[in-house]
This record gives sequence, C-alpha cells and structure tokens, in this order.
Amino acid sequence: MSARYGMVIDLDRCTGCGACMVACAVENNVPTSPVRATDRTGLTPMLVHQVSNGVEGAGHREVFVPVACMHCAHETPCVSVCPQQAVEVDKETGIVMQIPQRCLGCRYCMTACPYHARYFNWWDPSWPPGMEKTLNPGVATRMRGVVEKCNLCHARLHTAMEKAAAAGKKQIDMADYVPACVEACPTNAILFGDLANPDDPVSQAARSPEAFRLLARLGTEPKTYYKSRQAWVRALAERSPNGHVTEAQHV
Amino acid sequence: MKVSRRDLLLGTAGLTAGIFFTPVPWKVLDDVSIWTQNWPWIPQPARGPVTTKLASCTLCASGCALRVRMAAGYPVGISGNASHPLTKGALCPLGFAAHQLNWHPARLREVRHRGRTASWDEARAAFEKASAEGPIAVVDGRSGRAASTVLQSFADKHNGTYEVVLTAEERALSPYAQWVGVPVSALGYDLENARTIVSFGAPLLDGWGVPGRFTHLWSERAASASDPQLRLIQIEPAFSRTAAAAWHWVPTCQGTEALLAASLAKVLVEEHLVPAQGPLPPASLTEAAAQTGLTPTAIRDLAYSMVERRPTLVIGSDDNPAIAALNVLLGSLGTPGGIVKKPTTPSVTLQISAKNTPPRAVLLDSSVPWEYVPASGVEVFRFAAWDGGGNRADWLLPSPGFLEETTDLPTPPTSARAVYGIAPSLLTASAQLGTAADFLQQIDATLPTVEQTIHARCEAIFRSHRGSVCGEKSSPITGFESAVKFEEALRSGAVWLDESPAATPLKCALKTWPTNNPAHTTGNWANTWAPPVMPTLAAKLYRESSLRETPQRSQS
Repeated sequence: MSARYGMVIDLDRCTGCGACMVACAVENNVPTSPVRATDRTGLTPMLVHQVSNGVEGAGHREVFVPVACMHCAHETPCVSVCPQQAVEVDKETGIVMQIPQRCLGCRYCMTACPYHARYFNWWDPSWPPGMEKTLNPGVATRMRGVVEKCNLCHARLHTAMEKAAAAGKKQIDMADYVPACVEACPTNAILFGDLANPDDPVSQAARSPEAFRLLARLGTEPKTYYKSRQAWVRALAERSPNGHVTEAQHV
Repeated sequence: MKVSRRDLLLGTAGLTAGIFFTPVPWKVLDDVSIWTQNWPWIPQPARGPVTTKLASCTLCASGCALRVRMAAGYPVGISGNASHPLTKGALCPLGFAAHQLNWHPARLREVRHRGRTASWDEARAAFEKASAEGPIAVVDGRSGRAASTVLQSFADKHNGTYEVVLTAEERALSPYAQWVGVPVSALGYDLENARTIVSFGAPLLDGWGVPGRFTHLWSERAASASDPQLRLIQIEPAFSRTAAAAWHWVPTCQGTEALLAASLAKVLVEEHLVPAQGPLPPASLTEAAAQTGLTPTAIRDLAYSMVERRPTLVIGSDDNPAIAALNVLLGSLGTPGGIVKKPTTPSVTLQISAKNTPPRAVLLDSSVPWEYVPASGVEVFRFAAWDGGGNRADWLLPSPGFLEETTDLPTPPTSARAVYGIAPSLLTASAQLGTAADFLQQIDATLPTVEQTIHARCEAIFRSHRGSVCGEKSSPITGFESAVKFEEALRSGAVWLDESPAATPLKCALKTWPTNNPAHTTGNWANTWAPPVMPTLAAKLYRESSLRETPQRSQS
C-alpha cells in the first residue's frame, strides 16, 4: 500500500529558534549565498516566518511558522506548469520530487507555488575553502540555474529503504526515516509520519480540531498540517504567505 | 556515381529529419544536462564510509551531547544525543552547523603579533620575558575543566592571579553565593520541580543555561496547554522569543526590574502571601506602578500568580540582588523547585585567587568571551580558534577548533546535579595550533597535564561509587569493573550523572532588602545572542530569514 508522508507542525510549541532551518540546510548541502541574498533570492528550503496578531502592548502575541514545500497532493501546481517534467509526485510516497537534472530554470513552478516554498539557484554553489569536506555524501550539490525545494530528506528515505531491503522487508521502519528538521526540533513541534495510516500519530494529529492547512481553499491538498489552540493563528491560514506573513516577520 | 547538389540537399534534409526518429538527440540532451550539473568547479561531497560517533559540543559550557556523522574522516552532520541526562537530545541551532566552523573564513591558523605573522617561539619568549618582569593574570572563561587546573597551577606557582569570567547565568547566582557563603559553582536551579518560573528577562528558551534542558521541560509541561503544569511568567520590556512562548508576558519599562521586584515583595508580605520573615522592601506600589508602566492591580495580580502554584522559582538575567531576594522571600532557597546546593564533582575544585597587584601581562584562554576587555597597559596573550576581534590582543595564538581537542566537561552552570563528561577529539588539529594549557606546560614542565588531570578525576569519581553513567543506556557506576573502563565509557560519549541531591536548607545571611541594584539588567537578548563568529550556514539562514540579527563579520 502506498504511503502519504506528511507533517503536523504544532505552532504553539515552536520557539522560532531556527534549528530546523540549519539542520535542513546542512543535510541538503545548501551552499552559502552572497550577503546581498534575501529571503527570496537565497536558498532556505525551510523558512521560519514570524507572525504577530498586530495588537500592541500586553495583548501582543506572536507565533513562528516554519514553511517548507507542502507536497500538495491534488493538482500539484508546480507539476502542472513544468515544461520539463522536472517535478514529479512519487505515487509510492506522495513526495513532490524536484529533479534538478531536468530543470530548465524557467521558474514557472516558483510562480505557481502558492507557498513560495521553491528557490532558484542564482549563484554557483560555493563554500569557504575546505568547508566542502563537510558536505553530506548522501545528497548531490545542485548547480546555478535550477530550482530546488524540500524533498522530505529523500536521501534519508533511500537509506531507510536500503536498510529495509537488506532485512528482507518491504516496508520501511518509520524510526529509520526522520527528516532533518523533525530530528532537530528541540521542542518536538514537528510530527512526521504516514498520513495514509490512520493509526499513525501524525494522521491522528492531522484530524485534530486545532489542525489546519495553509491556503486550504485552493484545493491543492497540502500534506503539511499546522496546529494551534489560538484562534487568531488558525484564522491566518487562509491569508497569502506573500501578504501578512512577510510583512509581520520584520516586526 | 556523381552526387548532385540536389542529392546533397535531399540527403542532409533526410538525415536531419531522420535523426529525430532515433534516441540520439534525446540522449545528447540528457547527457548535456547531466554534464552541466557537474561542472568541475562545483564542489562535490567526498565519498567514503559513513560512521556515527558520539561527541560533545564545546562551543559553550553546556557540553551538549552530539551524534556526529563522519564521512571520509570529516564530520558531515550533527544531531543531538538523546541519552544525555540534561540535554535529552536537544541542541541549539548553532550546534547543527558547528562542524563547519573549522573552515570559517575567520579561523585563526597562525600566531599573530600586532597584525603581523609571528612564531610560537617568539610568543613563548615574549611570555617568559613578561613573566620574569611581573605577575601574570591568567583568565579562564570556563572554570572547572582539567585545563583550568593547569592555568590555575601556573598562576599559583608564578605569583600570578587566576581569574574566571562568569557567564550571565553564573552572575545571576552570585547574590545567593554571597548570602549563603558557597561558591557560585555549587549552586543550581531545580527547574524540574518548579511549578511556576518567573523570569526577569532571562532568555530561558533562547540559549539560556543548557539549551535543551529548559526547552525540553517547557515542551513537556507548558507548551500547547492553556493551563500548563509549568507556568512561565516572563517579565521583560521587549517581546522576546521566551515572552512569545510564556504563559504570561509582563511588559515593563527598561531598568525598573529592581523596583518591580521590591513592589512584588511588598504585596507578598502585606497581603500575607508569604510568611512575614526575611527582608522587607521599602517600596511604594504607586511609585512602582508609575515607573514600571504597570497598574497597581497588574502588580498585585502578578504577585498572586507567583504564589498560586508553588514552588515558585525566580530567575534573573544578571546579578540583580533585588530579583534574587524574591527567592529568599518565597522560601525558594535550598528547597525543591528553587535554588539548590549541589554536591561538587569529586576532585573538581576551584580556587579563585584575587591579588591586587596589577599584572604585567594577561593570558586569556580560548574560552574567554571576546567581549572581555583586559586592563589597559598590559600585554595581552589571547588564545582563540577564531578571530572575533583580535585588535584587542598583542598576541593572537591559534587554538584547536570544534572537535579538534580532547577536553573534559564539568557540570554546566545552572545545573542542579553534578555531571562529568569527556569531549573526544574527532579531528586531528594542525601542528600550528595549541592550547593555553599546552603553552604554559612548555614553559613550566612541572605543571600537571590535562590528560593526567582527567585520569585523576575519573579515578576519584569511580572511587566515590556515586551516580550513574548515561550512555546508549544508563547503568550505575558500580557496574564498571575499573576506573579505566569508566574513563573509556566517558571517552566514547557517555556522561556521568551524580545522584539527585537531598534538599539542603541554605542559611541566608540577607537581613535587609538590597538597595545596591544595577540601573537595568534586562536587555534584548534576541539581538545580542549571536556570538562574534557563527557557523557560516547559520549566519546565512538567519540573515535571509530575518529571524535574528547576525554580526557582519560572519557574513561570507
């Protein structure tokens, strides 16, 4: 039976430390960028936004919203616009895969993505001399001119599949497949698992009345859910990340 | 056969059309696109066997436990080690990219004397000359290590002084140390048993103490609950990360923390919320309300919140005695869930020598923060792995970087239980690098070595028969055959954890409410948190996400 890997991020647990961003970048060999790079021109496959309720004084509240590729399950916008078939939805896992070797660099997918979760390599990847020794051998570096995004640490999935195959199993052990951001979160704010399995904790958390998805009205069936007991946070879910969120992150 | 012009054109057109019915153009396109992914100037990961080793972070005094993924002999990934009793697998964000620091553009690789390249022999000769001319002040930023013993021994033997630069967390404990008459290193916060924590600007969820300890506690008992088991009240002018996660945030005016503490104490005593004993503050609620920006009702409500769920622990961000005195009033000194005295690690002692003679030269260990400014007019020998502001030092001496040095890890500040670990070296340091302890030993061979001290400490802990060893699984220390086996376990990433201390009542000498309070203690920690040299990738991500301000020098 096919899996449907997804996440539930509890925003009430997120302290905005940024460990998920750093761990993701290290795992996926994200290069350094020139100082002039911004949140749009740099590479941040996992980006934590700071969002406020806009109230001044003691009633002021803020949450941190980690945003990565949502791995949309229905009419995935980036897949339908790609002229190169460089984006595919893996039917076995539900992961939206970006294949840099096929990418033309047209950036249609970046325009189509409602979550701004895709990034373009504006510069050749580079590291300070010697730092390339610390690159993760499980992930190839990408070149200038291609788009990249979160692929749910696909290298870790391969390692888990190899381990399962070596043990003669058809299914992976979920304990062997934990994306870097999930592993790094010091408050266990990110739950990861198989949404297709009703007994999986992530599946149960996704059915909680406090769970919601960003821009659910678009009908793309994202596989990243968020959770918060604060009503104002849930109300933000239908606003565009390009509107309120990016304004508020400079609070 | 004669080939006419028509034949040539027909043949060319036929070939051109026919080639599209073969896989050749598609294969060529595919190969070209793959080839362009592999330009020779694009770095590729090194290939080699991947192994996982246990280690400890040495970026600060917390000593967080790491699982380091190694490939081709180099660290390629870091994650937390859940078996550590304090960190429980959590790390601060810098830890995840710390293995890149050794190749940071600001890395020190050679001896520098006032901006020019020098040699170790020149540095040693200059230090010996200075030592002969007058006393040397040896400054340590992380006391209690085996290396600290070497530094202290040198100072004692050569009529010098040994000084320790306290962290903000240690400074916050210093009023209690003074009132109770014990060293700061003997005190800790019993966070685990507290039910209400009142923080006066301490960045509890932003790198305070051992980062994983409070984060884990908050995550288990406070997050995602409208009525949490652990109530965190954050009193701070700015809306920090800790304020965002707190059960209740109290915005006050900058610099009025001592006055607010005094007014809270007055409400606690006058409304019989605590026994009327101990020091009484000469505060006026109306005046406090006017200066703090809170209403008298808000101050009274805050006082009631503090005692609604006991034990209550008050944590200051610095050595403000008025904030510390609140704990005395609340009876949170020497009781579970308060400030507790912990048994010291066997064989780990600290003697701070203070002499008034002005030193001829100052030797700064690599653990001393860059913000520390030595007295002017003295020759400064500074050990450092990264250049965080070298213009303040006459001599810059390159030290081993991350995972390049074997060092022991004494109990971190704020911990309520003694722990001891050994951070193994996973990388071979260049011959051009040296530690302050090695440097002093080359000058005086009679000093104890770091390795000897670590052996002696392991022996002493083993003989104490106290505590347990937390490795892949926890086992009592009595289960080890010998001190050698115990030391081997520590060197392979396990940590010794002392038994939970029995609550020791602490006799407090504070009789009058402290009035010598600093003007202000809290600052915007979120913006000053970043160290001078950050892992390159972490600096990039914070810059691009605007989550934190990063120092310009770490941008590369």
